[in-house]
Amino acid sequence: MSKKILIIVLTISLVMMMAGCSLIESGPVSSFDMESESETESEEDLIVVGFSQVGAESDWRKANTESMLSTFTKEKGYELIYEDAQQKQQNQITAIRTFIQREVDYIVLAPVTEDGWDTVLSEAKEAQIPVIIVDRMVNVEDPELFECWVGSDFELEGRKVCEWIRAYLEYKEIPAEEVNIVDIQGTLGASSQIGRTRGLKDAVRANGWNLLEEAAGEYTQAKGREVTSRLLRKYDNINVVYCENDNEAFGAIEAIEASGRRVGSNISRGQIMVVSFDGVSDQAIEYARKGKISCIGECNPLHGPRVEKIIRDLEEGRTPDKYEYVDENVFSGDISITSINLDETVYTVTILGK
Amino acid sequence: MINKIVKNQIFIPIAAMLFLLLFNLVTDPTFFKIAMGQNSAGNPVLSGPLITILNNGSELAILAIGMTLVTAASGGQDISVGAAIAIAGSTILRVLCGTNTRPDTLRTPIFVAFIIGCLVAMAFGAFNGVLVSIFKIQPMVATLILYTAGRSIAAWINNNELPIISDPRFGYYGGFIPGIPIPTPFFIAALCVVIIALVLKFTNLGLYTQAVGINESSSRLNGINPVFIKWLTFVILGACVAVAALIKVSRLSSINYSVIAKDIEMDAILAVALGGNALGGGKFNMAASIIGAFVIQTLTTTLFMHNVPSDALPAYKAIVVIALVVFSAPVFRDAVSKFMKNLKNGKKKEVANV
Amino acid sequence: MSKLSNKFKDMTDTNLLLTITIVVFFLMYIGAIVFQGKGFLKPQTFFNILNANAALIILSCGMSTVMIAGGIDISVGGMTALVTMCCAVYLDPTRGGAVANMDPNSGSVAVSMLIAVLIGLAYGLVQGFLVAYLDIQPFIVSLAGMFFARGMTTIVNTNPFNVANEKFVALKETRIIVPGMGTVNKLGKYVDAYVEIGVVVALIVVIVMFCLLRWTKLGRSFYAVGGNKQSALMLGINVKHTKFMSHIICSLLAGIGGYVYFLHVGSGAVTHAQGAEMNAIASSIIGGTMLTGGVGNIIGTFFGVLSLSTIQNIVASAGLDQAWWTGITIAAMLCIFLVVQSVVMARKKSAVKK
Repeated sequence: MSKKILIIVLTISLVMMMAGCSLIESGPVSSFDMESESETESEEDLIVVGFSQVGAESDWRKANTESMLSTFTKEKGYELIYEDAQQKQQNQITAIRTFIQREVDYIVLAPVTEDGWDTVLSEAKEAQIPVIIVDRMVNVEDPELFECWVGSDFELEGRKVCEWIRAYLEYKEIPAEEVNIVDIQGTLGASSQIGRTRGLKDAVRANGWNLLEEAAGEYTQAKGREVTSRLLRKYDNINVVYCENDNEAFGAIEAIEASGRRVGSNISRGQIMVVSFDGVSDQAIEYARKGKISCIGECNPLHGPRVEKIIRDLEEGRTPDKYEYVDENVFSGDISITSINLDETVYTVTILGK
Repeated sequence: MINKIVKNQIFIPIAAMLFLLLFNLVTDPTFFKIAMGQNSAGNPVLSGPLITILNNGSELAILAIGMTLVTAASGGQDISVGAAIAIAGSTILRVLCGTNTRPDTLRTPIFVAFIIGCLVAMAFGAFNGVLVSIFKIQPMVATLILYTAGRSIAAWINNNELPIISDPRFGYYGGFIPGIPIPTPFFIAALCVVIIALVLKFTNLGLYTQAVGINESSSRLNGINPVFIKWLTFVILGACVAVAALIKVSRLSSINYSVIAKDIEMDAILAVALGGNALGGGKFNMAASIIGAFVIQTLTTTLFMHNVPSDALPAYKAIVVIALVVFSAPVFRDAVSKFMKNLKNGKKKEVANV
Repeated sequence: MSKLSNKFKDMTDTNLLLTITIVVFFLMYIGAIVFQGKGFLKPQTFFNILNANAALIILSCGMSTVMIAGGIDISVGGMTALVTMCCAVYLDPTRGGAVANMDPNSGSVAVSMLIAVLIGLAYGLVQGFLVAYLDIQPFIVSLAGMFFARGMTTIVNTNPFNVANEKFVALKETRIIVPGMGTVNKLGKYVDAYVEIGVVVALIVVIVMFCLLRWTKLGRSFYAVGGNKQSALMLGINVKHTKFMSHIICSLLAGIGGYVYFLHVGSGAVTHAQGAEMNAIASSIIGGTMLTGGVGNIIGTFFGVLSLSTIQNIVASAGLDQAWWTGITIAAMLCIFLVVQSVVMARKKSAVKK
């Protein structure tokens, strides 16, 4: 018994001593300089990148993370610090502060929402760490707070898919007033949700469709299923389900099939048309090929190489473009529509063969 | 006569159920509509709110069985069942899929996967049981550990990937067996009820758990090992969790770690409370708990039918819980019966005065 | 040596558990400095931990109080979310969707603080009454409270949004420079170390609660009631009133903590402070508060929060990138401390008997 006490007492005193020392050491001009010198040989040539990711809620997100992880490897001269924020802005802000404290060379941020970044980004700017925003946009007063942005034009994605629906219905001669749409929205406040919803709303106004209801599906399969089955119970005339990502579409398809209805493009025969976005997972492409999903607006997740190019540019003193849009396709398994026309630009629809 | 019926424990859930059904009959008679339809595979299925209740209430009823035993023996509740379902479900999928997340064929028979999932869930139940029975930690706090870590462990089992099983046979457990229009979960729940009824009838489990719950030290004097009994109830709850997990993952043919069986612990505890069982342990009535589970599901479905968003659902349920526990609180009952007596006495006096 | 061992025996339960906690915290922090170097050596890293956890410190103080008095309150996380949302909608009604086109600067910050405190008070009154005077299990009451708060938050407003009220933002951005703790960053610039207002509030709460528990009659009656109800009754303490007060204090602190959280994040969202109740309970337990009541110390709780967040930081910066590790480590820590508590207490008991 007494031996144990001795050990406890010794540890306490040791700990106190060490704590005391470390406090003294970490004065204004700390021993940190010395330490960084000793590290010079081993790690100086690695470019340290802090990456704050939203989470792992969808297949798109995972592909996006995977792209970053496989691009910024030690072999290519990078050290990537990856932080998963589990869908919480708070975690992302904490992560960025940690990156600043660790004095990373670049911060890559995939923001969970658009608002509320001014403070933390100005802290990064003060520390002179360039911030590269990927995927969703940030809404800050001073655009100089971030270096540049890489991502998709979500509104364009939305408009493309709506244009496909319009062209398809016209081809099948289905009048606009018979179209009853429900919108399964993504995580509210995310750029992708805002853009895709806006794209749909504009199209609804322009074409005279009925938008029955907008409901939040949080970009997850489970929520998509839940929301869709609620909507199916509420309205018996739904014939188009506009899902703002593939995972929601999977859930929606399950809900529709469980309710005894069929999914498919043939809405004049009582089928329910499901359209969605992303087109990342094999399953989504497979569904589009089978016609379960009528049309998918692609959202390219492979940001890694683009971000790396920007960092290379910055390292060599070049200024990258402030906004960089990635090229994106429209996928469909239906051969009726081969191209769509938006603002005098023609986009070819990639037809997925059987 | 009426007094006798009212005093019977099973009266409470049945009265609640009748009240809910009456409410629905008045507000929305379509609640009782049952339609015969076809699902996407072309099999006949029944659909309608009542079928939904039978279908979705099944997992809850299965959990209520285990939860009732745990409550009776330990005087507390297991709040980790939702997280444990995630673990068991994840295990089942892992065994079925191996490392490939989109398998075309199943690696092992479903039965084997279920047994392994069951063992894992029982092991976690045993872990909770050890904390409660041997270390004498309050059940709710002991299970808090698994509540915190469970979903993380579930994600870790599958390497944070979301396996999807395409084999339609796997979907039978949470959906429909071809040719049988009644949802399978109901049969599974019925089977579990029969098993537990037989166990309670032919073994001393029921007697022992109640004895331990009523007075631990006197049960020890009577030759019952309270530590073992408490531990055993947690292991049994683990088995119930595994069955519920099989249904849950089969419904989706996939899993979503953060959403699967979310808040189900609340519903399960509510079912036990609604069954009129003392949450402080002791005597229990299994049938009342099981009916309680279906009452809860009826409440959920009713709220859904009245367009209560799923996120706001907990607020309404919370009010029901508080009303329930207040009405069943001994202090409150005493106060009411005193009040009634005074009322009666007062009347008598009045009569006498006249 | 024998003196020391006597001292050990004389140590109160509170002091023993407190010592363990403080030792663990320092060991962990030193471990972090040794293995993670860089970031942890800077005082600002430590202040960032404080900034991010000011709200949790306040919540944990309340939790410890209620646990010392033998109860528990798991509604604090939900309350935090409710407070952020109510205050956010009040300060910025247009974005909150309550009123169209309202000037975001019309709301007064003082009133929003009042709202937070009132929500806390209302919760305390209801929960305290149910627990103390109707003798309902605190876990059930606060479980319902948690679900009610979360549900109510979505009823107030579903969409997460940032508050644009200028006065509020100015308060949120206020930084208190800690003299002499700044560091020189890699560009050779001296950066001041700072804390947010919330940290000051948290420290005041810690001090006030410490004094209240140690030197006031009410504080001592918490210990008496939590330790042994019977003897507390014999000492002439009003047990019901004491329990009631413990819940009032806890909920009031949750209201204040909610506001501090709101000050830190500047937005209202349903998902805010998810799992905060678990972190608060874990911090209290790690800080040496006994679940059985009657033992605990606010200083320990303070160190409990610090230990918890330090380990989260270590996990994050150790490159264990997957989000699940945080959940698992916290649960593991909780588990170890629970078992240690139970073992220490069992030994103490047997020592006393001898």
